[in-house]
Formats: sequence, structure tokens, C-alpha cells
Amino acid sequence: MNQIQIPQQKLLRRHFLKLSGLSSVSLLLGGCGTPLFEDIVGKVSEPLNQKVETLIFNPEKLAPEFPISEIEPEALIVNSFNFTPKIDSTKFRLVVDGTVNKFLSLSMTEIQQMPLASMVIRHVCVEGWAAIVQWGGVRLRDIINLAQPKPEAKYVYFKSADGYYESWDLASCMHPQTLMAYQKNGQPLPIDNGAPLRLASPIKLGYKQSKWVTNIILSDRLLPVKGYWEDQGYEWYAGL
Amino acid sequence: MKSLSRLPRQAIAAKIFHWVNIVSLFIMLTSGLQIYNANPVFGGRAGWHIPPIFTLGGWLAGGRHWHFAAMWLFSLNLVFYGVYILVTRRWKHRFVSDKDIKALKLSQNQKRRAYAWHRIAYTAIVPILLLAIFSGLGMYKPAQFSWIVDCFGDWQALRIVHFTTVPIVIIFATIHALLGRKVGGDRLLESMFW
Repeated sequence: MNQIQIPQQKLLRRHFLKLSGLSSVSLLLGGCGTPLFEDIVGKVSEPLNQKVETLIFNPEKLAPEFPISEIEPEALIVNSFNFTPKIDSTKFRLVVDGTVNKFLSLSMTEIQQMPLASMVIRHVCVEGWAAIVQWGGVRLRDIINLAQPKPEAKYVYFKSADGYYESWDLASCMHPQTLMAYQKNGQPLPIDNGAPLRLASPIKLGYKQSKWVTNIILSDRLLPVKGYWEDQGYEWYAGL
Repeated sequence: MKSLSRLPRQAIAAKIFHWVNIVSLFIMLTSGLQIYNANPVFGGRAGWHIPPIFTLGGWLAGGRHWHFAAMWLFSLNLVFYGVYILVTRRWKHRFVSDKDIKALKLSQNQKRRAYAWHRIAYTAIVPILLLAIFSGLGMYKPAQFSWIVDCFGDWQALRIVHFTTVPIVIIFATIHALLGRKVGGDRLLESMFW
């Protein structure tokens, strides 16, 4: 899985947080406003939380959809971790590999010839806000099925043109409302929102929904490198 | 009111409940305010932020770690206590009843009246704690429990309700402590913990 880059600043930030945690030992006794062993608390509680999240996740249950009139175009905030890559969609290729029987390299034309799925759903951000938005695109499971995953495939990695990376459990990728979207609110997907192709789903928090996806890699295991935000301490499953 | 003049004694389960509740609630409130700061309910990013001295977790992910760890402590404590008061039938004689309402209407005995108010106050905390859990569950898993979001109308209403439980819990816990002190003095207050 050497295709996945580990951005340098990730380590710097983690390091910085650790240092700030150490330097605030005096604050620990004084009161709050401190991390107060949040990383340990996360490591201890996450396995339990993740078990419960996986248990209550129903792969067939559809998240609520809304009428077009309820779309909130202004509410969807653009969050990017680094920069906005400009991609020539005529030369763009979505590469699917890893534990699959069939290696794929799809052009946008080929992707747009696949059945279009459209949904008006609630996009929920880890920060607490939410926005009702329409996404149109191809179901991720259609792409995965096209690549014929091997039986041992359990996880899916996503690599983006801006260096962002993510990983999902396969079951959530096969959910009927998990899309590789190229439409937003009835229009071609804007560059800021991830054009030409992005992940979109109402069953995961926003940071799981990579923009500018260029590479989908199926895997039999979860690597120590899980995702840009996860590697800094955010929870991995992040199901809704 | 003779019992009040004796040294008050509490069941060990009531003491454990009070301890776990106050500690877990403190973590829930402070880590919740840390999460709030990522995008204030009123005004979004431009809105008013909670001063860091009241927050726990250091950053959004840290706040979430504390919040979703303490939620088990907080909600299971409430469940165990609920089972306890059902099994021991405490709910019949330890929480507000029509006798307290009658006392407030008819009694001139100030102590009896304070006692009635106190029972109203701590009984009212229970549904607020349940509302905090219910609205929180809706925000935590809006796809799996979309019906909870629907109960509140929309996302913003759900956020407001969940956030509003913070000041309400603080106000009611303060009233509970003050009235408890008025009814039974420091000894009653201390008996609930030690």
C-alpha cells in the first residue's frame, strides 16, 4: 500500500499536540481547557464505541431523503485540509486496485455511463453542523462489484489528488446511498466540492467523504495509516 | 418530619448514583462545550465561543473522545438507578407525588413546603437527563435513529435542544442542592455522597 502518501505535516501536528499536552500538566490539576489524557480515553473507549456502531449499522437501512425544496445550498461549508487540486476531467482516471480480481481504470465518460443514483440527504460534519444537499453519481458498490472484490477484501482505501487519504469498512462502501458523486444540487460538481469525483454518503461523517478521489484500493486489513484526520486522533468508524 | 432531626442515612445505591452522576455529568458538560466550540450552535463559526477554562479535551477530537466515553458512564448509571428505584419501589415514596402538591396548596408549615419544592426539583431533573441522552443519541447517529431527529423537527432544533440541556441541568442541580440544604442542612447534602 505504498501508494498512500503520509503528509509530513501530520506528524508535526501530532507532535505539537503531544507537546502541548505535556506542557499543560500544571493545568491538569488546575481545571479544564486541557486535553486531559484525551488520547488515552479515545484509545480505551473507541473499540467499544466502534463495536456498538458496527452492531447498530444496518447495511440495508436507508438514511432519510428530503424533497429538493429543502436543499440548503448555503449551509454546506467547504472544508479542505490543504489545497484545491485542479484536475482535467478529460484526462482523469479513477483507478481501482488492491484485493480485486479486475484492475480498473475508468474515465469520467465511462463512469457517467454507469447508472446514475441521486439523493437529497443530510450531510453531517464532525464540527456539529449539517446541510441538506443533493448528490448525484454512481453507487460505489457498482464500481466495487465491477472490480470483483476478492473474498478477503474487508476495507477500502481512498486516495485523493490533494494528498488526502481515507479508509472505510467495506459494508459501509456497499451501502446503496454511498456514492462516487459528480453532481451537487443538480449541477456538475464544483471543484471546491471535489470535482471531478468525490465520496458522498449520509451514513458517515463529512471527513470520511474524500474529495478529488483518484484511487480506490481494496484491502484485507486496516493499516496503521487509516486516514488524514484519523491519524491525528479522530475516530475511524465515524458512522452516523 | 421527625426523621429529619435524626442523622440522615442514605442507601449505598443512592450514594453511588450521586457520585457517578456528578462526575460523569461534569465530563459530559465540559467535553460537550469543547465540541460546541467547533461550530457554536448559535451563529456558527462566527458565533460566541465558550472560554477554554470550561472545556475538556483540548480539541474537537479530544472533546469527542471524552464525550463518547463518559456517555456510557452517564447513561448506564441512569439505567441502573432506574432499575434500582423500580425494584425497591423508591419511585413511589421518594419522588414527587400528589401529597407534595397538596402540601404546597394547603400547608402553612414552611419545612413541609420546602420539602415539597425540593421533591419537585429533583424529580424534574430526571426527564432533563433523559432528554439530554435522547437528543444526543439523535445527533450521534442521525442515520440509524433518524426518527429521533424527526421528533425535534430539524437538525438545528435538535442541536438547540441538546445544548439547552446544559444550562437547565446546571440550574436544576443548583436548585436541588440549595433546597436539599434548606430541608436537611449540610448533613443531608453530605449524606448523599459520604
